[in-house]
Amino acid sequence: MHEQPLKEVTQLIHAIKVGLVEGSYNITNKTLDIFKYIIMSKSWQNADALMQIVRAQCRILQSALPQETVSSNIARRILKLTREEFDLLHAKVQHIADDSQASLSLHKLVTQTSESNVMSDYTVPQQGLREALLDHLQEVETELETSSENICVQAEEHIHSSEIILTLGHSRSVENFLKRAIKKRQSLTIIVAECAPACRGHNLAASLASEKNVEIIVIPDAAIFAMMSRVNKVIIGTHSVLANGGLRAACGAYTVALAAKHYSVPVIVLAPMYKLSPLHLCEQDAFNMVGCAEDVIPYDSIPAREAKVYSPMFDYVPPELITLFISNTGGHAPSYVYRLLTELYHPEDLEI
Amino acid sequence: MVVASEQVPQTDGQSAKTKQKKQRQRNRPRNKRNRHEDSNLNNTPETESSATDSASAMPGDKSEKTDAVATEKTREQVMAEREAKKLAKQAKKQKNPSAATAAGVATPATTIITEVEQTTITTKLTTTTTTKAKEKLELLEKKADTAVTKTSPAPVENGKEEKSREQIKAEREAKKAAKKAGKSTVDKVEAATQQLSNLKVTENVQTPAAAKAQPPSSLEANQKKPTLSKAERRAIQEAQRAAKAQGQAAKKPQPGGKASTAAPPSKELKRESVSPAKAATSSSPSKGSTSGTPQSECRVRLFNHLVCAKGDSLFINDPLVHPSIARLGVQYAKRTVVGSNARCIAFLHALRQVVHDFETPPKKEFGRSLDAAVKHHVDHLHKCRPLAVSVSNAYKQFKNQLTQLPADTPETELKELLDHFIDTYIENQIGKAAQAISGFLQEKITDGDVLLTFACSSLIQFICEEAKRRQVSFRVIVVDSRPGCEGQEMLRRLHAYGIPCTYVLINAVGYVMPEATKVLLGAHALLANGYVMARTGTAQVALVANANNVPVLVCCETHKFSERFQTDAIVYNELSDPNQLVRGDKCQLNNWAAKGKLMPLNLNYDITPPELVNAVVTEVAILPCTSVPVILRIKPDIGY
Repeated sequence: MHEQPLKEVTQLIHAIKVGLVEGSYNITNKTLDIFKYIIMSKSWQNADALMQIVRAQCRILQSALPQETVSSNIARRILKLTREEFDLLHAKVQHIADDSQASLSLHKLVTQTSESNVMSDYTVPQQGLREALLDHLQEVETELETSSENICVQAEEHIHSSEIILTLGHSRSVENFLKRAIKKRQSLTIIVAECAPACRGHNLAASLASEKNVEIIVIPDAAIFAMMSRVNKVIIGTHSVLANGGLRAACGAYTVALAAKHYSVPVIVLAPMYKLSPLHLCEQDAFNMVGCAEDVIPYDSIPAREAKVYSPMFDYVPPELITLFISNTGGHAPSYVYRLLTELYHPEDLEI
Repeated sequence: MVVASEQVPQTDGQSAKTKQKKQRQRNRPRNKRNRHEDSNLNNTPETESSATDSASAMPGDKSEKTDAVATEKTREQVMAEREAKKLAKQAKKQKNPSAATAAGVATPATTIITEVEQTTITTKLTTTTTTKAKEKLELLEKKADTAVTKTSPAPVENGKEEKSREQIKAEREAKKAAKKAGKSTVDKVEAATQQLSNLKVTENVQTPAAAKAQPPSSLEANQKKPTLSKAERRAIQEAQRAAKAQGQAAKKPQPGGKASTAAPPSKELKRESVSPAKAATSSSPSKGSTSGTPQSECRVRLFNHLVCAKGDSLFINDPLVHPSIARLGVQYAKRTVVGSNARCIAFLHALRQVVHDFETPPKKEFGRSLDAAVKHHVDHLHKCRPLAVSVSNAYKQFKNQLTQLPADTPETELKELLDHFIDTYIENQIGKAAQAISGFLQEKITDGDVLLTFACSSLIQFICEEAKRRQVSFRVIVVDSRPGCEGQEMLRRLHAYGIPCTYVLINAVGYVMPEATKVLLGAHALLANGYVMARTGTAQVALVANANNVPVLVCCETHKFSERFQTDAIVYNELSDPNQLVRGDKCQLNNWAAKGKLMPLNLNYDITPPELVNAVVTEVAILPCTSVPVILRIKPDIGY
């Protein structure tokens, strides 16, 4: 099956590839805009057709940007929404709406038989589906907008005064989270590992240094273990959360998590819900990418002529090294991630 | 005590201006040679290991004979000159009678040495490559080792004769420059150049005659100085003294400004940093005590107890510090001599020089007074940079040796004894130990192995080269970290041996660890509780290796074993210049000092707990880390 990408999709892919759109939040937002546009357009007549279009565009995005899982995640959200709205409207038409209340009871769950789970026929055109979807999409957008703020609010619950916190690289969620914590708590010490070769940690450090009443220490990546013995908490961001509760995070996160485990320091991962992806990958070879090696060693240096140089972008962090996820809906243990996934996405949409 | 003495005429003989010029010119050929040497190092690294002590001994071979002759000749001249100068100086500086007793008769000699050594300092500092040559020394194999022992007193001499040639060349160039400057030059300068040219002529003329005259005696000196009449010489000396006074006056304000030179060191800065020191040593040694160490407390609260190293550190204006130690101190402080073994060897060579030039004060015992002198020198080195464990161990052994010196033996014999001790220490503790460790490890390296190593270790490099010589097909993953990037040096050395390499930064160690079959790590020291003290990042590599079930072997000679106990990297550590973390102009960390509480931190060492290390390979055996105390207890029996 060969699908043509929409003009907006190609534009987005281009923008991401040349670095015009950066950061998971922005990518998610842009993808959502595209899907909103698709829903508003007249190109689909029934739920099934809409789902076909969404799937097709999602596949294109996925193959063009394999590392950006957030766009597929948002597509899954839309698919799930479509199904729910369709079922709801369908039920209304069938006048069995009163039954939906009963589905929450334990009795109903136990006695539920396969007959009530019969596959809906999404090809049936449904009145008011478009409006209902757009309404719901509004909710998703608001959720996205407030996700960062919702995570920040929880800062006070996790950080006490004069704590020593270690973080790695530069994550926007972590930046906001820590800024909030600095405002609320006295005399924090924040240790920032610079995360070579990009050294984005420097940016985070510079940004946090504008706050008052805080001590920012920038360390090279090599000193993580040495400093860990004094650290109270590790707070890191992540690129995405995998289905088993593991992380696909910036390169270096594995070492940080291991060192924290060695010193029994809690590792807190800030992950808004849109970063949860139903991917079962449990080793880095499955998803890792290597970046440009020029920053690692100059191309024109003598040793660089013969040596193989790698500059991987991600690290896989196994779930047993993580203490807690903080998402916009609250805290979760890594073992609970699978449950969040089933709530967030429809089981049939895990494979797009 | 006897030093290349032909330096004297031109040390004091010119105005500050020509001196500057000459120094610049003296640097030039040397740099060229170094560059040449560096390229040589790429091609044939083995030949280069012979260039151990002096910056380069390459051209010394063919012209050594003539050089020696020149040295002899000029020495005699200088002796007479020194006589005259001594009188003048004694009258001139009554400022410090205390130093006069300590340095005693040797005062003029010290100035000479300072001059000689300082030229080397400038040249050394201009190129880091020279230290690479020095580091090569650590991996001395049998050949090189024996070579060193054979020529034990030679390298220093070589270096000096070398320098004398160098200086002749510089003189020639200085002369040329002075002539170009023409009429504007003061007649003092002209007198100096005149004197130089005279000297030059006498050297050329008298080389065959002086060839047979080996022992320098005042009689011979008197006979062989017809080229310069006494009146002439006196005039020259007058001019010299005047020029010197001028030069000092010009230089005196400089030491005040040097504290602010935290900027990246340029050649200009270095020259400045050397010259005021020289002025201080030759004129007012009391000034040495006033100029404190430019160190500052670390701003990071956790590390308030540690002293933060500054980029520029000048401690060389102490008359009691031997120039070779002063030079070493600067090299330590500037991190041009790095690595446990290299620091230890450099220290021992400097120590040898100190012993060689040491004169027992009247009515004092040789051993005790030398002990006191050496202690002062070691304290000086400690001020430049906290002593490496290997260095303090070597010092301990040396002190031990001093106490065991036979009582009624002539001083020269005692010196020979100590010289021998230093040689055997280097040979046994570093050279042979490396071979033994390599021997142990060769059994462990087999075809298809992938060795992972961190940063740069001379021992690991030696082991890899040995394995390559055995034609084992293996490859090496070099893990490196900012800001030092010493792994690049390791990569270069391994590359020179044709060993296939992979290079990653330390945060990608998890990415390459599954490929590795063994992790070989060097160490700075092994502590008595089994913890390994090594370059920052070592612990992290061991940690990741452990998580991936890759065996971790730490290679460490027993002379690096320490009796200290330590459980984390924070109580005792060294801090390097935090500015190294700032990269380029676009870096957000620029001007970090102005940005509130933003502090980069550059730790030197970290501590690897013993549970992360599978075994320590020493020259005694392959042991678990926790057996360190055992070795420490039995150590006196194995090494010495």
